[in-house]
Amino acid sequence: MQTNLLYQETNAKSIKMLDEIEHSKLCLWLQDVAENRNKQAFTHLFNFFAPKILRISRTKFSNEALACEVVQETMSNVWRKAHLFNADKGAATTWVYTVMRNVTFDMLRKIKGNKEDTLSEDIWPINEPVANEDESYEDHLAHDNLLKVIDTLPQAQQEVVKGFYLLEMSQEQLAKQLNLPLGTIKSRLRLALAKLKVQLGDYHD
Amino acid sequence: MIKHHPTFELLKAFVAGDLPASLSAGVAIHADMCDVCQQQIAQLTEQVAEEHFKVEENLLNRFNVDEQQSLEQLPVNNFENMIADITASNNIRVIPAQKEKTISFKGNNYLLPRALHNMTLGKTAHIGKLSRLRMQLNENEIHTSLLHIEPGGGVPEHTHKGFELTLLLEGSFADEKGAYVKGDFIMLDASRKHHPISNQGCLCYTVANDALHFTQGINKLLNPISTFIY
Repeated sequence: MQTNLLYQETNAKSIKMLDEIEHSKLCLWLQDVAENRNKQAFTHLFNFFAPKILRISRTKFSNEALACEVVQETMSNVWRKAHLFNADKGAATTWVYTVMRNVTFDMLRKIKGNKEDTLSEDIWPINEPVANEDESYEDHLAHDNLLKVIDTLPQAQQEVVKGFYLLEMSQEQLAKQLNLPLGTIKSRLRLALAKLKVQLGDYHD
Repeated sequence: MIKHHPTFELLKAFVAGDLPASLSAGVAIHADMCDVCQQQIAQLTEQVAEEHFKVEENLLNRFNVDEQQSLEQLPVNNFENMIADITASNNIRVIPAQKEKTISFKGNNYLLPRALHNMTLGKTAHIGKLSRLRMQLNENEIHTSLLHIEPGGGVPEHTHKGFELTLLLEGSFADEKGAYVKGDFIMLDASRKHHPISNQGCLCYTVANDALHFTQGINKLLNPISTFIY
């Protein structure tokens, strides 16, 4: 796969916002890194993000070595924390931005002679599901409705959704229980959630 | 209901990572209790990310001068080495489940907001019904504390030299302008005299600076706040 393919149709304008296709591509690469530790996918992500991160961090750090450190540290976090990315909660760009902003914040605090503390993860947690709020407010009616919709899913997806959300099993436990690879559990969950979203309508947004 | 929120400018600076740790933590704690600000922050973050990572044609062409330059200007590692370096280890970062932390004032236990979990706490000073615990953030003129007021206690009338943020974590208090509830984000500037009293007792997170060392960037940012809230 060539990263350049992604951009060919963008030549018409000099600057443009990312379109849906590009967003979902970044998202898939990130998930591929999380689930399969796919280095090729990571290289695509790197080629997309690293030059941009470098350009941004040059405006924050006059020292070139520090600007590079932001790139290294951010992309290293992308590699090691990709499993914390949740496509249902936001775009890949938003997630990588958060990682980069946090790295920058801690580094700036360090070089300003403050302290060697790492506060960014507490201030802007990247592992905390923000959208979960909705679920905690759901009343029983919404819950019943949800159960009905879950029952319309294909059997294989039902198992995973019920195990994960109703029995509160971890994805790893489910993989063991159902004797399936972790990646399969994850993709079934994702498919199921996408279907549920359509079924329940987008009136939440 | 929460009535006092950070200004839009403050939220934007928070999202950009431009606020000092003290104020960043204040906004984060408020947003944890305020769905409206939480959503606004999520939206702003998405916008800012989109803006930063938008596709620019001159960055996309492999043979483009700009891109080529950024690649060449990398001092030690080129990008390929960096990729190899990063992917050499397959370890993932396991984030331990967030443990609750509590803090105790005069026999009352309070949950410590997550944003404060890794801050170094100083000693607690007691003055009558007031207890003040300093956070050791090393932000020069900016002082950050947890302020506990026992029922019936208050802070004597005072003005602020720079700005003062009071974020109500638990309980309630009132001043000349009215009553405040848990989650209220109250930013005062130097022009305001106030005399808060807490009948039921309360715990606040406070951030204040010293006017003598007012840095211009923050000053500029906080100027609209007095007119916005008061």
